[in-house]
Amino acid sequence: MTVTTPATALPPSTHPFAEVVERLEAGGSMLPDTPENLMQIIGIYKAYAVPMDFYWRDLLYIAERVFLDPLPAFKYFPSQEYLDLPNSYAGDASKLRIWRGPATAHPELLAFMDKGEAGKLPKLLHHLWHDRINMEFAEACTDAMFWHQGMGGRFYDYLESDAYKANAERAILAYFKGNPLMLGLHKLFPEMFLEQVRKLSYYANLGLFWEVMAPVFFEMSDIYDEGGFSGVPAAIDFLVNGIFAVAGRPIYHHVYIGGECIEIIPKPAGFTWLYEAALPYVEAVFYRTAPFRGTKSYNAQAGQVPSQQADFHYGILYADVFPVGSAGIPPTLLMQDMLHFLPPYLVDLYRNHKRGEDDILVQLGITFQRSMYNVTSAVIQALRCALLFPLDDPDPEHLKANRAFFEAQLDRFLRPEARLRDVQTQDYR
Amino acid sequence: MANIIETAKGAGLFSTLLTAVEVASLTAALESPGPFTVFAPVDAAFAALPPGTVQTLVDNPPQLACILKFHVLSGAYSRSELVEQASWESLEGAAIPIRCAEPFEVKNASVLSADIVCDNGIVHVINRVMLPG
Repeated sequence: MTVTTPATALPPSTHPFAEVVERLEAGGSMLPDTPENLMQIIGIYKAYAVPMDFYWRDLLYIAERVFLDPLPAFKYFPSQEYLDLPNSYAGDASKLRIWRGPATAHPELLAFMDKGEAGKLPKLLHHLWHDRINMEFAEACTDAMFWHQGMGGRFYDYLESDAYKANAERAILAYFKGNPLMLGLHKLFPEMFLEQVRKLSYYANLGLFWEVMAPVFFEMSDIYDEGGFSGVPAAIDFLVNGIFAVAGRPIYHHVYIGGECIEIIPKPAGFTWLYEAALPYVEAVFYRTAPFRGTKSYNAQAGQVPSQQADFHYGILYADVFPVGSAGIPPTLLMQDMLHFLPPYLVDLYRNHKRGEDDILVQLGITFQRSMYNVTSAVIQALRCALLFPLDDPDPEHLKANRAFFEAQLDRFLRPEARLRDVQTQDYR
Repeated sequence: MANIIETAKGAGLFSTLLTAVEVASLTAALESPGPFTVFAPVDAAFAALPPGTVQTLVDNPPQLACILKFHVLSGAYSRSELVEQASWESLEGAAIPIRCAEPFEVKNASVLSADIVCDNGIVHVINRVMLPG
C-alpha cells in the first residue's frame, strides 16, 4: 500500500477530530507524524515484543500441555520445547518470514529469564519473587477476550457448538483418564471443565495472535534502527501489510495428551487470524477490558460502570495511565515487563522528562498508549482497505464512504476518557 | 453452453481465482448443477492485495475456502434480480450487500461485466476481492 493523495477532494470534514480524519484519509495514523512519535512507538514495540515472545509461547504451552491441570503451579514455566518452538513467521524454515531473526525465543528474553533483576538464582525463586515475565498480564488479556465475547467473528459461537463440545469432552476424558475423583466431578458438573476448555481455547487464540505480532514488532525495531522508516505513515504501512499477509492464518486449539493430539478446534474449522483473533483482541483489550481495581475505584451501583459490555471503555486507548498504574494490576504488569527491554534511546528520553526514572513506568505507559493508537490506526486502515475503497479512489461516493467509516471509528474517542486528544501533543507524557 | 469453471477458463481473466478454487477443492462444487451466482474477481483484484495475503490463504485451504464461498450465492441471479434486494446471503454465511444499482456495485467491488450466463449459474465479474465484515 502506498500513501497517496485523493484524486477527488471532498469538502473538509466537520467531525470534532477533523484533523485526524484528514490524516487517516491521507493514509496516516491517529498519531501525528513527528520524529519523536516514531521513536516512541517503535522503541516500545521492541520492548513489548520481547515479553510477547514469552507470552505466546507460554499461552500455547498452557493451552496445549498444562491444559486442565487442577494445580497448575508450574504453568509459567514453559518447557524447553515451547521456548524452542519455531515461530511460523521468523527463522530460516518459515514459509512467510516477517522477521529476519531466529525462530526460537529471543536472546534478550532468555537472558532475562536466566538472571532477572536479582541475578542468577534458582528459577523458582525468580518466580516467587516476581522477578520474571508477568504472564498474569497475558492471562488478563485472554480473560477480557473470553468475557466480552460477541465482538464479531464466529469463534465464540463455535465454542457452543456440538462439534466443539464433543471434541472437548474427548479431551477431558483423555486428560483425566484413570483419575476417578476428577472424572466423578466431571460427571456431577458436566459444564465445569467444558468452560475451562473454552477459556483455554482463548489461550490458544491469543497465543497464535501474538506469535505473529512479536516478529512484526521485532522487524519494525530493526528497520527503525537502520533508519528505514521515513515517518509514522511508513510504520502504518508496514503494519497494514503485516496484517494482510497473515490475515488468513488458521486459528485452532490442539491439545497433546499422552502423546496424542486432540484437535479441539481443528484448522479445517476455517477460523482466521484477522477475524477470530486480531479484531476481537483489539476490541476486547484496546477498547473494552474491565475496570481495574487501581487507586481509582468504580461504583457499579451508581452507574459508573456501563450496563452494556459493548460500552466498556477501560482499555489502553482510554486509560489514565497514572491511577491505572497501581501495583499488581494487569497494565502495570505489562509496563514492568517492558521496562526490562527498553531500547537505550527511550531510557534517555524518559530520564530527560517529568520525574526521570522515578516515574518511568507512567512515562512508558503513555508511550505504550501512543503506540497502541498507532496499532489501532493500522487496524482501521486495514479494515478500510479490506471492506471499503482505496484512498485515491476517483469516485467521490467511495471517498464519502471511507470518510463515514473513519468518522464512525473516531466517534468512539469522543467520550471524555479517551486519550486521542492528549496524544495529539508531545507534552502529554 | 459451458459451466462456470469452463467459462472462467475461457475468459482468460481468472487464473488466480481458478487456482484458488482448485486449491480450496471447490472446483467440483462449481461444476455441479448448482445453480450458483458467482462474483468473480479478476486477476488484477488478487494482485492488488498486499504481498503475502494470497500465499497465506493458499497455504491454508479451509481458510481460503471461506473467502471464496463469500463470493458465491446459492441460486442463479441476474443483475436485475440482485439489485432488488439490499443484501444476499453468501455460501460462507455472511451477507453480501448490494451497494449500488447504477453503476452496479456489490459491497466494495464494482461489477465490470454482469450477467454471464453459464450452464449452472450466472457469473458477474468484479474488480476487487471481497472480504466478509
